[in-house]
Amino acid sequence: MSKRKQRPMSLQPIIIKLLIIIGVLLIIPHIGELPSSFIVVGFSLLGWRALTLWLPNTLPNKWLLLPLSIGLAFFVLKTFGMSLGRDASSSLLIVLMGLKLLESRSARDVQAVIYMSFFVLITPFLFEQRIEIALYSLSIFFLLLFSLVINNTHSSALKNPPLLRLSGFVLLQAFPLMLIFFLLFPRMIGPLWAMPDEQSAVSGISDSINPGTVSNLVLSDETAFRVRFNGTVPEQKDLYWRGPVFWETDGQSWTLTPPRKGSFERAAAIPNKSSDIQYTLMMEPHHQFWLYALDIPAAAPTNARLTHDHQLILAKKLSRNISFDIRSTTQKITTEPSNSDLKRALKIPDNTDPRVLALANKWAKTSSNNNDIVKRALQFFNDEFYYTLKPPSLGKNPVAEFLFESKRGFCGHFATSFATLMRVAGIPTRLIGGYQGGVYNKVGGFYNVRQADAHVWTEVWLGEKGWVRVDPTAAIAPNRIEHSIDPSLQRINRDINFLLTPRAGLQKWAQQLKWAINSFDYYWQNAVLAYGPEKQLDFLSKFGILDWGDMVTWLAVLSGLTLLTSISVVLILQKETHDPVQKAYLTLCKKLAKKIGTRLPHETSTDYFNRAIKHYPQKAELLTALQILYLKTRYGKGAEQVFIRNVRQLNLNGH
Amino acid sequence: MSLTLSKRLSLKRFTKGEVTQQSVIKLNHRRIFILPNKAGLSLAVVILLMLIASINYNNSMGFVFTFLLASAAQVSTFYSFKNLSGLLISQTKTPVSYVGSTSQLKLIIKDTAGRERWAIKASHLDKHTSFNVQKSLSLLITLPITFKKRGWYTLDTITLSTTFPFGVFRAWSPLLFDQPILVYPQPIDSGLPLGSKQHNDEQSGAPSHQLGTDDFAGLKPYQQGENYRHINWKALAAEKGFYSNEFNAEQSSSIWIDWQSCGHLAIEAKISQLCFWVLHCETHSIEYGLRLPNIELLPNHGVNHQHACLKALALYEQT
Repeated sequence: MSKRKQRPMSLQPIIIKLLIIIGVLLIIPHIGELPSSFIVVGFSLLGWRALTLWLPNTLPNKWLLLPLSIGLAFFVLKTFGMSLGRDASSSLLIVLMGLKLLESRSARDVQAVIYMSFFVLITPFLFEQRIEIALYSLSIFFLLLFSLVINNTHSSALKNPPLLRLSGFVLLQAFPLMLIFFLLFPRMIGPLWAMPDEQSAVSGISDSINPGTVSNLVLSDETAFRVRFNGTVPEQKDLYWRGPVFWETDGQSWTLTPPRKGSFERAAAIPNKSSDIQYTLMMEPHHQFWLYALDIPAAAPTNARLTHDHQLILAKKLSRNISFDIRSTTQKITTEPSNSDLKRALKIPDNTDPRVLALANKWAKTSSNNNDIVKRALQFFNDEFYYTLKPPSLGKNPVAEFLFESKRGFCGHFATSFATLMRVAGIPTRLIGGYQGGVYNKVGGFYNVRQADAHVWTEVWLGEKGWVRVDPTAAIAPNRIEHSIDPSLQRINRDINFLLTPRAGLQKWAQQLKWAINSFDYYWQNAVLAYGPEKQLDFLSKFGILDWGDMVTWLAVLSGLTLLTSISVVLILQKETHDPVQKAYLTLCKKLAKKIGTRLPHETSTDYFNRAIKHYPQKAELLTALQILYLKTRYGKGAEQVFIRNVRQLNLNGH
Repeated sequence: MSLTLSKRLSLKRFTKGEVTQQSVIKLNHRRIFILPNKAGLSLAVVILLMLIASINYNNSMGFVFTFLLASAAQVSTFYSFKNLSGLLISQTKTPVSYVGSTSQLKLIIKDTAGRERWAIKASHLDKHTSFNVQKSLSLLITLPITFKKRGWYTLDTITLSTTFPFGVFRAWSPLLFDQPILVYPQPIDSGLPLGSKQHNDEQSGAPSHQLGTDDFAGLKPYQQGENYRHINWKALAAEKGFYSNEFNAEQSSSIWIDWQSCGHLAIEAKISQLCFWVLHCETHSIEYGLRLPNIELLPNHGVNHQHACLKALALYEQT
C-alpha cells in the first residue's frame, strides 16, 4: 500500500469541507461586531469554495483571484482607513482566510489556511471574552488541530477514531505548558503601540444625564460589576455604588466635567476605622474613566485616584476586566467645601422655568432650615409622582415639564428635578451617578450588580451634617409604581424590593441555576480575564516572584521541567511491555530462575518448563498446566486470564 | 552498542546515520532526530503575531489560545517521535541489478510497539515513497534505484521521516545499512562474434555419465548436501523416503568467453560485451567459461556459474 509521491498530492475534498465548516464557525461570533458587509463577504467566499466541491469548474483561476483580492483589500482599507485596529484586522483576516481557502490546491495551501484560522480564532476575544465564547473557541481549536492532522496524513475520511483521539490527547497534554505560560509570561509588557480607540457601546451610566431625551431606560440583566465583601456586609438599602459626580447642568442635561488636577490634590484619604468595609470589586470593562465604589470610598485602589468629591478615577479607560480591592467608610465627611465648589453646587441654569423658581422659593421662605426644605421636597414627590420606566418624552424644559405636567419618570427625572429645586432653594446640591443594590449570589457568595441597577441620586450640603445623600426616587409611594415593570429586572430602590415575591418550585431551581452560572462567570472573570499585569504581580509575589526577570527565569525553569518530565514519561512508557501475559510469564521465569537457574538462550519455554518439572516433580501437574496454558496464550485464544491467575497462585516453596 | 562521546556528538549522526553492523535497525531515541520544518517556522511566526496581538490588547483569552497553540505544537513532537520509534527496519536482498537498469531497493518496516504509524516518508537520494504502517504488522516498501557503476554499491543514507501529526516538526532517522549491493555490468552487444566454439574433441557428441541438471535420468537415494531442488517430492509424498532426481548433463559443446576476443574495445565496453555473452550463453544453455586477464572460470553453466562470472566481471579492476 505504498504510494508514490512525486508531485504534491491533490487535496482530499474532506479537508476542504472541514475547513469550510470551521470557517463558518469562526465567522459566527463576529456577527454583530464587525460591519455586516464583511460577514457577508466571508460567508460568500466560503460558499463559493463549497460550490466548487460539486462544480470544480467554478474554481477561480489566478486572473480572477488577483483582482478580487486587491478589491477586497481596498474595501477593508476604505472601511477602516489606515489604522490596523481590532475591527480592521479581524475583517482582513476573515477575508484573507476565505481567499486563501478559495485558492487552495495543495496541502501546503491548506496548512496556511489553518494557520490563519488559528489567528481568526482569537479575534472574537478582542471584542468580548465571555466564557461561552471561550468554550466555543476551544472546540474550534480542537477541530483545527484535527484538520492539521487530516491534512498531514492525507486522510480521506473524517470519521477516524485514532486521529480524533490523537488530536484530543494533544489538546489535553498542551494544557499544563499553556498554564505555565499563562501564569508566568510577563504581562507588564504593555501595549506595544497605541491602538485606535474603538469602544463598544457604553452601557450603564454615561457621562451625561439627560432625562429629557431618554424616554426609555434600557434595563438589561447584564452584569456591571461584582463585589465580594471581606467581613461585614452592609445592608441592602445601603448598597449605593458611587460613580461619577455631576456638578454642571444647562437645564436640559447634567454633564460630567473631568476632574481637575486640584481635585486630586484636595482629596484626602480617610483614615482607617474598624467600621470600614473591605471588598473586592470586579469591574466589567465599561470603557469609562471612572470606577464604582460603595458610598463613600476611603482610599483609592492601585491604578485609580480619589477626587475630593469621592470619585475614583482610573488612569485610562477600562477596556478589560480588572478587580480592585477597595475600602469604603461609613463615616460622615464634614470637610467644608471650597467656595468655588459651593458656587458650582448652587449654580442654576439661566433658563430655569419660573414655576420651578416659585415652588423652590416658596419652600425656602416657609421652612425653618435646609433640612425642612429637603423634607418638603420629598413629600412633594411622594404625594403626586409616579415611577415608570416608560415616561413620556419631555421638551425643552424637562425639569418644569416633569414637575408640573407629566409627573412620571424614573431616577434620572427625580434626581435632576430634585437637584434643580434644591439649588434654587439655596442648598448646594450635586448629582451622583451609580448603581443601587445588587443581587446576592448564594452559590458564589458575592453581589452581582447589574446594569438594571443603574441609579442616580443627589447629595446636598447641610452644613454641620456635611454632604448628605438624598435619594428622591425612594420617596415615591409604592402604590404609584407602575406594574408593567418586570419585578425581576426592576429593583431601583429598597421600596421596590418587596415586589420580589419569594419563588417556589421550578422557579427556585431556575434561580439557583442562574446563581450557579453567574458565580461560575464570576470566577472566570476574576481568575482568568482579570489576570493582567496587576493581578499577575499580586499573585506571583506570593511565590516570591517580583519582577519580569524572575518571571522569565521561572518560565524557563518550569517549562523545561515539564518538557523533561514528558520526555521521561515517553521513554519509560516505551520500554514497558504492555502484554499482561508476557509480564506474568517473565515473573514466573524470575521465580523459577531462583531455583533452577535462568532460562538458557537455546531453551524454549517448553524446554524450560520441562526442566522445572524435573526439578519439582511434586509440582509436575501444575507446571505442566502452566506450560500448556502459556502455549495456548501465545498460539491459541482465550487462556490469558487463566494463565495469569495460575502464575499468581504458583508457590514453589509450599507443598 | 554504546557510542563514544565524540561519535555521539558528531554531526554525521544527524545527517548520515550511524553505521550499523546488523541488518535490522530498530528506531529508538538515539536514532530519531526532530527539528521544526518550514511549515513549523511559519507557525512560529503566526504564534508570534498572535502573541503580539494579545500583548497589545492585554487580552487574557488571546494569551490562552496563543499559548495553547504553541504548547500543542510542542506536544506534537512527542507524537512525531512515537510515530517513528519502535519501528524495525530491515533491508531485504536487492534483486539482480545491472548498471543502467532500475532496480528496487526493498525495506521491510515492522511495527513492534503496537501503534499505528501514519504518513512516513522513506527517501534514498532523490527517490521517496510515503506509507502508513498498520498496528503490529510489517510492510514491504520499495524505492527505485538506478545504478551508474558496476561493482560493490554501498547504499547511501536511507532516511525515514515524518511530519505527523501537524506537519510543523519533521522527525527523521537516517539509516545506513552495511550491506553492499553487487551491481553487474551493463550487458551491451557490440556485434562482435562470440568466441570460438571448442568442441569436446575426445568425446564428441557421446553422452557421458556426468552429473548435470538438464535431462532426467532416474532416481537415486538422496545424499546429504545435495540441492534440495533435486529432491523428488513425489517419491517423498508417496512415503518412499528421500530420493533425488538424477540428471544427465548433455555433454554439449562449451565455449570460452574471452577478454581477448574483443580486443579493440575500451575496458568498460569489453566488460559490457562479455556480460552480454554470459547472459546470452546462459539463456541458450550453452556451457561457457570466462577468461579475463589473471582470472579464468572453467566452462560450466547454471545460476551459480552465471553469478560467479558476472561477479568477476563486475569487480574486474575495481578497488
